[in-house]
Amino acid sequence: MTQEQIALAGTGAMRLGRQEGEVIDRRRTITFRWNGKQQLAHPGDTIASALAAAGERVFSRSFKYHRPRGILTADHLDPGCQLQVGDEPNVRAAHRLVEADMDVRSQNTWPSLRFDVKAANGLVGRFLSAGFYYKTFIKPERLWPVYEKVLRQFVHAGSISPDTAHDYYDKRYAHPDVLVAGGGPAGMSAALAAARAGATVLLVDEQGALGGRLRWGGPAELHELHRLTAEIAAEPGIEVLTDSVVGGRFDDNWVAVVQRNLPNVVERLVKVRAKSFVVAPGLIERPYVFEGNDLPGVMLSTAARRLINLYAVKPGERAVVLTANPEGDGAVADLQRAGVDVAAVVDARHGTTVTRARGRSGVQSVELSDGRRIDADLLVTAVGWTAPTSLLNMSGDKPVYDPRSARFRPDPARLPDTVLATGRIVGDGSFSEIAAHGAAIGREAARRAAGIRARWQTQVPTRTPGEPVAEVPAKPVEIPDLTPAAHPELFRGHTHGFVDFSEDVSSKDLFTAVAEGYDSVELVKRYTTVTMGPGQGKLETVNAVAVVAEATGRTIAETGTTTWRPMYAPVTLGALAGRIFEPVRHSPMQAWHERQGAVPLVAGQWIRPEHYGDPAAEVRTVRNAVGIIDVTPIGKLDLRGPDVPELLNLLYVNKWNNLGVGRVRYGVMCAEDGVVLDDGVTGRLGEQHYLMSTTSSGAGTVWEWVENWLQTEHPDWQVHVTPVTTAYASINVAGPRSRELVGRLAEGVDLSPEAFGYMNVRTGTVAGVPDCVLWRIGFTGELSYEIHVPAAFGLHVWEALMSAGADLGVAPFGIEAQRILRLEKGHFIVGQDTDGLTQAYTAGLGSLVKLDKQDFIGKPELTWQAERGGYPLLVGLQPIDGRIVPAEASQIIAGGRIVGRITSSRMSPTLGRSICLGQVEAGLAKPGAVVTVRLIDGRNIPAAVTPQLAHVDPEGERQRV
Amino acid sequence: MSDPNTPTPNAPTPIARSPIAPINPRVENGWEVSDARSTAALTIADETPLAKVAVRAPFAGAIAGLLGVGFGRAARGPASLQADGLPEALVVGSGPGEWLVLAAPGTSPAVRQRLEALIAGTGEFASVVDLTHGRALMRLRGEDSPAMLAKVCAIDLSDDVVGNGAAFRSSVARLVTDIVRDDCFDARSAGAARGDGVRSYLLHCERSSGQYLFDALLDAGAEFGIEVTGSVRAAG
Repeated sequence: MTQEQIALAGTGAMRLGRQEGEVIDRRRTITFRWNGKQQLAHPGDTIASALAAAGERVFSRSFKYHRPRGILTADHLDPGCQLQVGDEPNVRAAHRLVEADMDVRSQNTWPSLRFDVKAANGLVGRFLSAGFYYKTFIKPERLWPVYEKVLRQFVHAGSISPDTAHDYYDKRYAHPDVLVAGGGPAGMSAALAAARAGATVLLVDEQGALGGRLRWGGPAELHELHRLTAEIAAEPGIEVLTDSVVGGRFDDNWVAVVQRNLPNVVERLVKVRAKSFVVAPGLIERPYVFEGNDLPGVMLSTAARRLINLYAVKPGERAVVLTANPEGDGAVADLQRAGVDVAAVVDARHGTTVTRARGRSGVQSVELSDGRRIDADLLVTAVGWTAPTSLLNMSGDKPVYDPRSARFRPDPARLPDTVLATGRIVGDGSFSEIAAHGAAIGREAARRAAGIRARWQTQVPTRTPGEPVAEVPAKPVEIPDLTPAAHPELFRGHTHGFVDFSEDVSSKDLFTAVAEGYDSVELVKRYTTVTMGPGQGKLETVNAVAVVAEATGRTIAETGTTTWRPMYAPVTLGALAGRIFEPVRHSPMQAWHERQGAVPLVAGQWIRPEHYGDPAAEVRTVRNAVGIIDVTPIGKLDLRGPDVPELLNLLYVNKWNNLGVGRVRYGVMCAEDGVVLDDGVTGRLGEQHYLMSTTSSGAGTVWEWVENWLQTEHPDWQVHVTPVTTAYASINVAGPRSRELVGRLAEGVDLSPEAFGYMNVRTGTVAGVPDCVLWRIGFTGELSYEIHVPAAFGLHVWEALMSAGADLGVAPFGIEAQRILRLEKGHFIVGQDTDGLTQAYTAGLGSLVKLDKQDFIGKPELTWQAERGGYPLLVGLQPIDGRIVPAEASQIIAGGRIVGRITSSRMSPTLGRSICLGQVEAGLAKPGAVVTVRLIDGRNIPAAVTPQLAHVDPEGERQRV
Repeated sequence: MSDPNTPTPNAPTPIARSPIAPINPRVENGWEVSDARSTAALTIADETPLAKVAVRAPFAGAIAGLLGVGFGRAARGPASLQADGLPEALVVGSGPGEWLVLAAPGTSPAVRQRLEALIAGTGEFASVVDLTHGRALMRLRGEDSPAMLAKVCAIDLSDDVVGNGAAFRSSVARLVTDIVRDDCFDARSAGAARGDGVRSYLLHCERSSGQYLFDALLDAGAEFGIEVTGSVRAAG
């Protein structure tokens, strides 16, 4: 269709002439698809208003009975206007603005919206009454999966493809002085007054623009709307979030705001910490319960006024209006101005009401309580208001029912100081009265926020020195009274109708539930699911309470309400998830590993090279020539001070008093229960300077552990601990030719065995990089040097080693080869060969534990372990059939009992057979003992306990050369 | 740890590298740096080459007085650090009894020695550790930088709480990060003449997560048109 054709076609038979407050852009026309058919709209139309302008009355089928449903509220709460838009299900089509080329479809109707075969449910409606699921799908239990499949076919929801693209959802934090929930006249006035009192303000409204009911009012309301909107726009202290909803209020004014339709962000969760929180949500118009109240064409007065005044859509041709308040009277005037034939105005204030609406796919006639039957395609009701007190309830309030105004009202006495309410949720009045109340509340909110801010300004260490603290007025702002207007109590007429349009729960269902014994409103809610639909009771709760009260013979006040909990409005999982922040850590050589095609290993936050293609070959390189491995993640703590030996004596189970400068010692830390916590070597670099290494996974834990002991138990010790794990790139050069390789690059360090023996540490220059720390230690069992290089030079030194060692056969090796090498050597890994119950003696550390030390962490428990004996032991194991490698964690069994487990196992490239470490009961921990290992496939195999943990070079000759 | 002066015969001249991959790399002061230049309203620059020297000392003793700032604040170099031709340094009160001194690239040995000399005269128990290689450091610059940071950091960045010169440690994109508000008053700052700089923050974290933090900030800044630029300014 060309633009010219579109312009000629207009946007629908029900489109009115220009309205003063309309929000559509008549200069432009766009097309979209509705159930495959092309439709026209103006920018500014909601999907529902565009369809209504085209004369569509049925938008969806209901949840249970698949009854036709149309517009009820013409806003985000409309239960009949949830549609599928492209890949997005459950779009609130009376709120979502239409966009060009949108593909809009009704949800879960078959074969079509007009002829939905599932409407047959309505014929068996009496079998689908309250508690239907509980009564019907209980037995037999084996059919539950079948029930689930069948019921899924009837679910009233859209569909989503698993292939749907991941859109951008995120979060942000906000710290306004005052947060105002609701941008109607009261909220706008509060925001302005607060900002003018010096507060920063966040003003949030669910609609696409500020104004609330002013937007669809007459000239006087529109004048006020334009004035307030302009003043807010000119106020720099106010940030406005429209199309956003305050979803929940939590302790300390942590308030969740869900913001939608941002550029490039589908939905954003704004985590607000507001010093003061002003709740100004206005009122929600309540539907009336009577037979046929869900027919398309039955709508609230606010819906009719929105359609006419905002979208220039005629809601029907011939109307009956049931009114009990001035807003209903206003709707009559709007309808007449829009050219609707108002056939009857039924004034409920005088006792007349509607008995039923009749029709098939929409209202055709209306029966009144005085017996009249009037042909009409539109029935507008204005029977009262619900105060949406959710946010106040979440703040500790418990609203009370006021029969005079026929609504629940907040109880300000129960609110914390930081939460205030204004607008029609508090009471009624003229525009100026509402605005005056809002302004006073805004000023008071600003005053209270200023008090909090002043307190912070004097307390936070980041404050600017000398910055003056603002004076806070001591006297509270005087708040004018705002009293609710009297209103007749109108909830249900003389017939039964729908109470919950989302869940298809009728007043008759509620009577049935009460008759079956569910006489508490909380039980009725759960039994019938009333108020549990997408609207979460905003339209339904008060009617449900009134019907339950009627059925039980109690008053509404006695019946009470259900509990309002967060979230106030539906939120996507995307907004709750936000961006995925998963910090990762890389060594300075990571890019090199990636270029070499290393297989990555995720080890906590670290990404490490597991191997470079053939771990067995990497093992052979280390045993026969020289290999280099990136061990940067090894934890490193710089320890300085005269009391470091005291600290080491406390932390480790062995003794540290006489460690000379340049010497290295292995140590094991235990927790208070004697369980092995971590291990590593510590070297003495200077008189009062030590460098401690920890396991890679234990680096953070050990730092906290050390600081905890220093700060809580020994603040008197002079020790400073600085984590320097990533200040150094750590490279282990291992293999019989490692000395030769390191010697080619090191300066200022004598590498001869006499000058730099095993378990020594030196500092020097490597590959031109000074301040390197060289350790003669090793995990592989070979002659090796661990070089800690100032991290920015890590890649330089790594590449220099590879280059300088080419003729020596140097090759990189990964974590897998290192695991094999250390297993061949019999070194245990904390957390793999030990667990949360493995005390030091069990780990084979008896010779290391020095019970004659005055004290160390875990000493009492280890003393007891040594005394009682009989504990399990870590041993070396070799399956008799060396071709079999038992999986790690395989059980070791004896006499029908589990007596141990394999903790590590690999095929040894050096020995050409399988090797293991394992924990076994004390009686089996004897060299030569044969134990039974149960494999994963259920087979049992024999394995022999070795004389020591090491399978290769038990004497340690290779590493001491 | 000092920057090397003399290469060994067996290896090329050492080049120091930041954990953050540079754009159009070139070498400056022995460091590989990004040659990118952006005039965007919001920029991020890798400042990892700056010297970073940590000081631990009593919370409110003589050394604290010499350093001139306490926990939670940062200030450009006290006179006590200016001896021997050292460039101006930014002293950050990064924790209770904990400072980080930032200075021009390549000056860490001199800064460390100066600090050690200062400390020696006080008789207080203190330590100086060169963390130049242990931290990644980046600078955000632009009026939108607080709005952008608000997407990844829960702290109230208003002037009342985090005014210019404020320093704190928090979670940024779930990573422990030190943040310093250090507004720019250079020629590009429209308000420099009247004392209003351009909003700017220094962020530093463990070196190993530098690229992660840099990428997370770029992601958060996309809606503000953030661009990568080379070093905005030295600490001095």
